[in-house]
Amino acid sequence: MSEVYSVELENVVKRFGSVVAVDHVNLKIRENEFFSLLGPSGCGKTTTLRIIAGLEEPDEGIVKLYGKDVTDIPTHKRNIGMVFQHLALFPHMNVFENIAFGLKMRKLPREEIKREVKRILEIVKLEGLENRRINQLSGGQQQRVALARALVINPEVLLLDEPLGALDLKIRQHMMVELKNIQKRVKTTFIYVTHDQTEAMTMSDRIAIMKDGRIQQVGTPLEVYYKPSNTFVASFIGEAVNLIEGEIKENGIVDTSLGVIYCSEQSAKGKVAVMIRPENVEIDEKIDSVDNLFKGIVQAAIFKGSYIEYRVDIQGITFIVHKHGEENLGKIYPPGATVEVGWKKNSSLIIPVQS
Amino acid sequence: MKVIRSFLKIFTVMVFLFLYSPIIAMVIFSFNESKSLAVFTNFSLKWYEKVIANPEVWRALYNSFWVGAVVTIISLILGLMMAMAVTRYSFTGKTILESFILIPIIIPEIAEALSLMMMYIFLNIPLGPVTVIIGHIAFDISFVTVVMRARMVGYDKSIEEAARTLGANELQTFFRITLPTLYPAILAAGLLAFTLSFDDLIKTLFTTGPGFKTLPLVIWSYAARGGVSPELNSLSSFALSISFLFAIFRLRAERRMGR
Repeated sequence: MSEVYSVELENVVKRFGSVVAVDHVNLKIRENEFFSLLGPSGCGKTTTLRIIAGLEEPDEGIVKLYGKDVTDIPTHKRNIGMVFQHLALFPHMNVFENIAFGLKMRKLPREEIKREVKRILEIVKLEGLENRRINQLSGGQQQRVALARALVINPEVLLLDEPLGALDLKIRQHMMVELKNIQKRVKTTFIYVTHDQTEAMTMSDRIAIMKDGRIQQVGTPLEVYYKPSNTFVASFIGEAVNLIEGEIKENGIVDTSLGVIYCSEQSAKGKVAVMIRPENVEIDEKIDSVDNLFKGIVQAAIFKGSYIEYRVDIQGITFIVHKHGEENLGKIYPPGATVEVGWKKNSSLIIPVQS
Repeated sequence: MKVIRSFLKIFTVMVFLFLYSPIIAMVIFSFNESKSLAVFTNFSLKWYEKVIANPEVWRALYNSFWVGAVVTIISLILGLMMAMAVTRYSFTGKTILESFILIPIIIPEIAEALSLMMMYIFLNIPLGPVTVIIGHIAFDISFVTVVMRARMVGYDKSIEEAARTLGANELQTFFRITLPTLYPAILAAGLLAFTLSFDDLIKTLFTTGPGFKTLPLVIWSYAARGGVSPELNSLSSFALSISFLFAIFRLRAERRMGR
């Protein structure tokens, strides 16, 4: 039995003048998946979302919803829901009328509309606010109205365009958990566009990372963090990363400007980069039982609460190390101290250099 | 500094006195019992009674209202379409069109009126209510477009997109989302258009046909015939109060639009 995909994009291209906003994008999004499109601003993620919604027409390629080609079907005939960046609530309607709009367009009987609105208000926890005007709601409540309005029509997919951007940090963190819960409850595919990796990592089943209109990698949060497909993904995901360019000498051994680095074995050829996450690196006066060992001088030690971030100069290259654990927090190496920095070969990953 | 400030105060008061004292005097003397325009003797409504008893005034008032209504509706439709075109789409000649919209506001009305009349004669169109209406629309449309455009710049198009994702086609989106959100601007523009049409004398004078008179035309013909009379005062005050009422409605609508 073949897998069910709620959304498929095949070789989708969208140009704005001479700019290629979306460049041969292929995606298969599974049913009931929480899928994020992540990338810096201008990477084409919002355009991709708008193409799925039918608000932009692709210049090339095919859009499918549940296996059906919808490329030429207008937005109002695709059964999709969308939450907009600035919410786009109807200012001249109250909460009930906003949420009921999609049901009215579907010509449902009044009683059923009332019942459905009530049901969805319960899910987004807005009971009793039916008659409020939009400008009488807080930012978080408006967020929920926008979500309810898009969900009440039982869309085949829900598209979300950076919906949490306008909220402050505390409400945003709360809404992330909430969104994930709602997604599980309503059992609908969510496609979530964001430039914020925390949002993507927190909620997503899978993430597609985009840059310059192209998909760089599609994978689970763990995969994109630990097995980035190229240097762009490696540096975009995570708080910090060490990337050292070099050339493959033999299987698992890379020749770099620091000398030879031992890596987990991987078949690759020519110019590559070695990625080492800062939390996988040990730092001490004397380190045993590591595969890669370098001497360096501490440039800076920054206390970050649960860990200390060291910036260590190794032969002119700045290396970032995150030191966790309370037994280490009492002892901070001051700038100027000579230390040893080391890691096991399983912690250094060979990845292709992003062209 | 203090001297300059008190000078500015006095100057401002004088400007307002200069602007409004004739109007105030006109309104006061419309209630004067005597025929004198210099001495106020007693309060009386007799000039108003005379005006109200005059069937020509009523006919003119009726004409003014229906001409104004037709002009307002057509100007609103055309002006709304024009404003939408220039704020939403880019096309060749857009900048030229945008400055052309302003021309009827800038050029002297008499030139516009004269050229309209000449065109009607040239095209052999009989003068009458229709030519008056066309003349009013020709410049009302500019005012409507300017008011609507000001509102539409910065209009968040995503609410229309939201409606479409919820299953509304383009027509439903226009009537249920676009029009209602533009309602305050439409109201303000409509009241402005009506007031302009209701007050217009010059263009009506040049484009009307035999027997078709609006209220300003009647006032003007009385003034031209017999000079200033208390009856004319009360008639003008009457027209003034109607315009004033519409101006108040408009200001309230504009305040709502600003919000």
